[in-house]
This record gives sequence, structure tokens and C-alpha cells, in this order.
Amino acid sequence: MGMNQSLIIISLIARLVLVGVFVTAALPKIQDPVAFGQSIVAYRLIEGDLVAWTALALPWLELVCALGLLTPWIRKASATWIATLLIVFITLHVSAWARGLDIDCGCFGASDENGTNYSLSILRNVALLAAVSFLIWLDFVRKNPLKLKT
Amino acid sequence: MRSLGREFILIAFLVCTGMAFSLVTGRSPLPWAAPEIGPGEIQLIDAKALDLIWIDSRTAEEFASAHIPDAILLNEENWDTGLINLMEAWLSIPRPMVVYCADESCGTSKKIAERLREALPEAEVYTLKGGWESWE
Repeated sequence: MGMNQSLIIISLIARLVLVGVFVTAALPKIQDPVAFGQSIVAYRLIEGDLVAWTALALPWLELVCALGLLTPWIRKASATWIATLLIVFITLHVSAWARGLDIDCGCFGASDENGTNYSLSILRNVALLAAVSFLIWLDFVRKNPLKLKT
Repeated sequence: MRSLGREFILIAFLVCTGMAFSLVTGRSPLPWAAPEIGPGEIQLIDAKALDLIWIDSRTAEEFASAHIPDAILLNEENWDTGLINLMEAWLSIPRPMVVYCADESCGTSKKIAERLREALPEAEVYTLKGGWESWE
């Protein structure tokens, strides 16, 4: 198996994992934006109308970008959005952890469990960020084949 | 670069379509129709996300028939007893307090909140927008 074939298989696995995680995260939030709004409020960073707009828009952005990773017309922008979202999520978790907030992270919609395992959530998001960064890099080198050879 | 711009526009269009779907099907409340909040008031959605002390300022009969879990009864009639119960809860774990009465039109919660702010200047005291009715 050549290097190119290995890269194709790894990129397919990374893509499918990202799609699975983001679709699973988006659907419960789309189903119940009010509960997701409560999770956003718990971070104590935004309030009022902005919470309602975020609770309405963010799950759809997650869903569109997740499915976009499998769609040639919006693949690059989807990967860029997902990387941006993951950086924001990691920052939010670090911030909540540093402030000692014992909250449900709302990552996969509102859950009945109290509290979030911050280290696990951050680790998961860092792994996903590595996966999406790999996809962005791969798109870049495909467009500029010389970069891969050197 | 231009193709990336086009991709972002297409994503924005798809997200807006999804948001419209959520609004039209009634899954999401209208973000621009959020009730206005007066000074010292808190919405139920915000209050539910916080660890706080609920204070029921309705009558003892209304409290006995139903109340928010762990709420403390505190009104003009039982001020002293209620305040002792409240102090016990607050001193054990200092948390924000939210006072509620029957509905939007009742003014009892505002009066009790005002008395509490005078009695406990260090406490963070709010009144619940919409009162017990919003909880129900």
C-alpha cells in the first residue's frame, strides 16, 4: 500500500469520525434549543438575545459543516469552520474549568448528568482538532503537490 | 480563494435555512421576542442554569399546594421564621437568591427582594420574571 493510499484511508476515517461526532452533537440541540440555551447561559459569558441566537444557529452550523465534510462543494470551508468551532470549544472548557464552574458542557445537548469532565472534553476536542487539521493540510498539499514531495 | 468564499456563502445559506426551519416548526422560540428584563429580574431559562436559593413569597397555602423544589417560604406574614431558614441555607453555601410570587402582575416578590437586599446587603437577590406561572 503506497503512501497516497494510506493517506486516503486515514483521511476517510478522520472524516467519518468528525461527521459522526458533530452530527451526534448537533441533532439533540436542534431538537431542544431551549435546553441548549440553558447550557450556554451556564458558562456565564453571554446573556439575553445572544444566547437565543447562538442556541438557534450553532447546532445548524455544526450539522451543515459535519455533512459538508462529505460534500465536495463545501468541504474546505466546512473543515475550516469545524477547526474554528473546536478552538472555541476548547477555550470555553478551559475558561469554565479555570473559573471552577460545575456545569453540564452542553456538548451533546443538555444531559441529566451534573458537571463535566473537563480534561476528557478538552482531550477529545484536541484530538478532533488534530483530525480536522490533518484534513485541511491534506487538501492544501493536494492542491500544491510539491509541498508533499519536499 | 474565491471558491472558498463561495463555500462560506453556501454554508451560511444552509445554516439560515436550518434556522428558519427551527423557527417555522416551532422547535425554537423567537430570539427577538425574548421578554424584556427589568432591573433585578432574572428569566427562568437563566435561573435554571444557576445553583441558587429559591424563595417563595406567595401565601403559605399556595406554597403548601405546590412550589419549586427546595424553595423556602418567605413572605410578610412569616418574615422572621422564613429569614432564619433562608440564613441557614445561605450561610451554609452562599448562592444567589431568586424570589418569586404568583405571576407577572404580582408585586410581592419585588417587595420581598427589596427587604432582603436591605437585610442582607452582601446577598445577590433577583426576582423571577413571570413568577410561579413561568415555572408551571
